[in-house]
Order: sequence, then structure tokens, then C-alpha cells
Amino acid sequence: MIGASLSRWTMSYFSVALLSLLGAEALMVSGFGFPSRPITAPQTLVLVHLTVIGWLSLLMSGALIQFVPVLVAKPLAHPDLPAVALALLLIGLAGLIAGFLDIPGISSTSMPWLPFGAMVLSAGFVLNLWNLGRTLWSARPMGLPARFVVAGLVSLAGVVALGIVFSLTLARWTTSEVLTTLTAHGVALHAALGLGGWLGFTAMGVSYRLLAMFMLAPEEKRWTSRIALGAGTASIVVLLVGGPACLLFGLKLDHVLVVALLMASICVVLYGHDVVRLYRTRKRRHMELNTRMAAVALGGLGIAALLLLALAALGDVARYIGAVVFLVAFGWLSGLGLAKLYKIVAFLTWLQCYGPLIGKRATPRVQDLADEPRAMPWFWLYFASVGAASVAAFLDTPLVFRIAALGMLVATAGICAELVRIRTLKSVPTPMLPEGVQARPRLILPSLER
Amino acid sequence: MTQVPHELDVRPILRAGGEPFAAIMDAVKGLGPEQPLRLLATFEPTPLYHVLAKRGFGHAAREIGDGDWEVLFTPNAKASVTPTDQPPARNAAAASTGNWPAPSRELDNRDLDPPEPMVRTLAAVEELQPGGVLCSLLCREPVFLFPELAKRGHQWSGAFEPDGTTYKLLVRKASQREPAA
Repeated sequence: MIGASLSRWTMSYFSVALLSLLGAEALMVSGFGFPSRPITAPQTLVLVHLTVIGWLSLLMSGALIQFVPVLVAKPLAHPDLPAVALALLLIGLAGLIAGFLDIPGISSTSMPWLPFGAMVLSAGFVLNLWNLGRTLWSARPMGLPARFVVAGLVSLAGVVALGIVFSLTLARWTTSEVLTTLTAHGVALHAALGLGGWLGFTAMGVSYRLLAMFMLAPEEKRWTSRIALGAGTASIVVLLVGGPACLLFGLKLDHVLVVALLMASICVVLYGHDVVRLYRTRKRRHMELNTRMAAVALGGLGIAALLLLALAALGDVARYIGAVVFLVAFGWLSGLGLAKLYKIVAFLTWLQCYGPLIGKRATPRVQDLADEPRAMPWFWLYFASVGAASVAAFLDTPLVFRIAALGMLVATAGICAELVRIRTLKSVPTPMLPEGVQARPRLILPSLER
Repeated sequence: MTQVPHELDVRPILRAGGEPFAAIMDAVKGLGPEQPLRLLATFEPTPLYHVLAKRGFGHAAREIGDGDWEVLFTPNAKASVTPTDQPPARNAAAASTGNWPAPSRELDNRDLDPPEPMVRTLAAVEELQPGGVLCSLLCREPVFLFPELAKRGHQWSGAFEPDGTTYKLLVRKASQREPAA
């Protein structure tokens, strides 16, 4: 089909992602992992990977298989491949978590969970990379948001490659000195490429377009956006090439990380400038819940960036890095993700139920599927709890952190309930409900009749 | 050497309210070299002409009664027919507008937030006389609108104006009533 159709598997990705987020928050409430345990503890690794793979990466992948075709006005190269990828990602994640939990007792089982998990996970990511890559490749020359996505995908490839190296070394499948060095000192590269390059940079690219679209702001070709793209890409290249090269030649990684951080800071400042401009030049004066909450999340990014720079200047990054990463992952990326989900789920559900009926009968507006006054308190509770948890993480008060995490868990459950209400058309007046098979769109699985 | 055409009857799919595009593309993919495709449909599938023209197929259509159409898609001698699942170019379904009548209606949807431009454009197309044309000004390429236009059998042609900010879309309503409600 010409143009972009609904991606059949996006809602499945979103559902599993939200379940992972709820799971990660429940673990934090129970005191599992950071900050009750050190950031290198196996429990923290479980929590981190459940959050960044189970929640954020699945959210981003689900969004990209829907959004990349919209960005480039071409259909996805392989519309059903994301289903296979999702299965592999879930099996791989389960294997990885089993592997991390195995570390304390030095593998009491015969199953090498860590490399198994890493390889299956990589297979899942590679399928999505291939699919999105082919779709983007077919649409050259690409616009600015799509180039951010490409750089993010390259970064993901780097994260996956490093992850495989780590798992092979930790499982002692290899004793290569090079790979052992990479494993011993490359964790910062893995984390920076994953959180900053893959999730952060891709989120920036996607938000350039989504914010402009939903606020009716002009998408001008500005030099600030181009330099943001250049600086961010340079930061990724420095990490991806400079990092391993440094380690292989026996140099310290610090210089590479500082250069990457400076590049990334330029990128974040210019991106922030562009986003503020998008908000200021919007033609749509009334801001919907998703754009208001996205602004709060972007504030989280600003605070995290300032903190990281200040800590780098003071030479105290190692002590507080856990708290900064928490703020980036939950204040910015998760907050932005939840805010945009609220709009995207309503939009996709509306298109699925009412697209074929437009012009033939009265149809509700997209915003009629959502009940913003109901959802608003959950979002404020979420951001207030993230703020409190970040402060608790900085002050190293695990009990306060756990109480704040409970607030996040309750808020996320509330937001999930609102998403289910949107998906089941609970806010739509009865006369406006569609008739026939599409009256009840499936929550998680795709509509196979499409 | 002329080959026996592969025959594909999408009328049952259309009558069941289904979307035959995937079946048609699968059939095209499965064609032998230089093998034509005979397609039976409940309406003249004009948007498909342009999609398949991009893949090197010419077409000959005739009405076969009861509003049904038979279209013979023949690979052009010069075109290299390498059916892939590569999607057509973004304006592949955009017809040459040379023989279209002047737009009977113009809409300026540039200041509306999505999906309002899509709603207004589709609603206005439904009100056109069969064969009528409307012009819709948009602030971005309406990627979700195209599949809906194709499903309804309408033709369109669109591109950004030289200013780079206004997307001008012309839609020509299908000359037949939409086959599958």
C-alpha cells in the first residue's frame, strides 16, 4: 500500500513494554537492585535491562515500526517480521535476566543463560534493524528526523555488539585478551550508546516530528537542528569507534567519554532550543495532555544534562551516575514515552476503528477517545514520584526511593488503565461507536483480518 | 513468446469488504518472466494501473457486465520486470492529471491538526460527483490518507509546492460507486 498503513504489531510491543515497566517499578518498590544495591550488582543489571530493553527498547521499536513508514512515506519493508523479532526479544530478555541472576553462584545450572540470552536478543534486534534499515534505505534522501533515527539504529547495533562480547566473556566462552579488556572497561560505552545513542537520540528525532505534528508548529530546516544532528552523530561515532580503539591501545576511556559528553551536550542544548521554538511557534494554542507532559519530561532531560556536566566538572561522576541515569531513563525517556503513548494509542485506535468510516458517517475526534481530566492526575503523580525518587537516589536514601517508586508504580498502573479505556473506546458516546468487527479492537494482538 | 496469463479474481475479497492489494502484489510477485496477469475486480482498479506501471506493466481494461471489470496487465517489452516487495514510489498511485477536470472544490486544511485534514478531505471527496476532482492544501504529506483513498478506489496526485511548506493534493473520485462498503 502506498503511504503508511497501521502497523499490526505496534500495540503488541507497547503492551509488553508497559508490562515490563510495571515489573521494573515493582522490583524497585521491593528494594531489588539500585539504590538498595550497588549499580554493578546483578540485581541492578536485571532492573536496568528490564527497563531499557523490556520497557524502553520495546516501546521505541514498537513506535519505530509504525513511525518510520510515516517519516519516509513508505510501507515497512517486512510488515510481519516485527512479530518474530518481538518473540526473540522476549525470549532473549528472559535468558539475559536468568543469566544475571546466575552470576552470584557462578552458574549452578548447565545452561549458559547469559550468552544464550544475548544472542537471541541480538537476533531480535537485528531483524528489526534490517526491517527498519531497508525501509529507510528505500526512501533516500531522508529528512532530518529520519537521520536521527538512522544514527540511533547504528548506535543500537553497537550496543548489541558490545552486549554479545560481554556475555561471551562473562560466560568464559572466550578468553581473548581484547574481548576481556573490552568487557572489563567497556560498560560505560555500552550504557552511553544504549541510553544516549539508541534511546535518547532516536527519541529526539521522533519528537522533532511528533511535537511539530501535534502542535501544528512549522518544521523549518534550521541550522540548529542540523548541528544537533551532527554533534549527536559525532558523539555516537566517538563512542563507537574511539571507545574500543582507546581500550585496545591500552589508553584510558576518560578522554573519549569527555569528548562524547561535550558533543552530546551541544546536541542536547540545540535540541532543547529547537523544541522550545516548536512550542513557541505552535499554531495550536491549546496544548493537549501529551504535549504538556512531554514538556515536563524534556525538563527532566535538561536537569539530567546539567547535573552530568556539573558532576563531570567536579570529577564526581562515578558516585552519582546511578541517580543521573535514573533521571534520564524515568524522568525524560519514560515520561516522554508515556506522554506520547497517550496520544499515539488514541490516534492508532481511532484510525483503526474510524478510518474506513470517515466521510460516510459521523465519527468522533481523536481526542474524544481520551479522557484527559481522568488521566492528568496519574501523569502528575508519575512525574512527582520520579522527582522524589531521583532526589532519594542522589541522597542515597533507599527507603524513600522505594516509597517514591511505589508512587511511580501506582501512577503507571493508572496510566495503563487509561490506555485500556482508550483502546476499548470507553469514552466514546454509544451512538458514535463503530459497528461490526472493528467495534472492539484487540488490546494486544493485531487484528488479523486486516 | 506469449505466455498464458495468470488469473486472479479479487471480486470475492472485495465483496467480503476485504482489501485485495496484498493478494494482487503476491500474484505479481509470483508471475513468470513476461507472464501477464488477468485481474477480475468489481470496479475499474485505476490506482493499481500506476502502481503496476512503475513495475513495468501496461494494462488493457474492459467492463464485463454487472459493473465488473477485467484488466490484463502485460509486462512491457522494454521494462525489466523484477517484481520485488519493494514498495512503489511515494506518488506511484498519483495519476497524470492531464485529463482531469478542474477541481470543483478547494480546501485549505493547512492549519488543522491531524487527523482533521484527512477527515475533511475524505468527507469532501465523498460529496463529489463520480469523476469529480478536489484540491486540498495540507501542511504535510498525508501518509495515512493514501491507503484510505486507494481502498475507496480514488486517484490522487500530490506534491509539495515550491515554497516547501504547502502540500497540494488533487483527488479524483472513482467513477464507479465504491464496490465494497
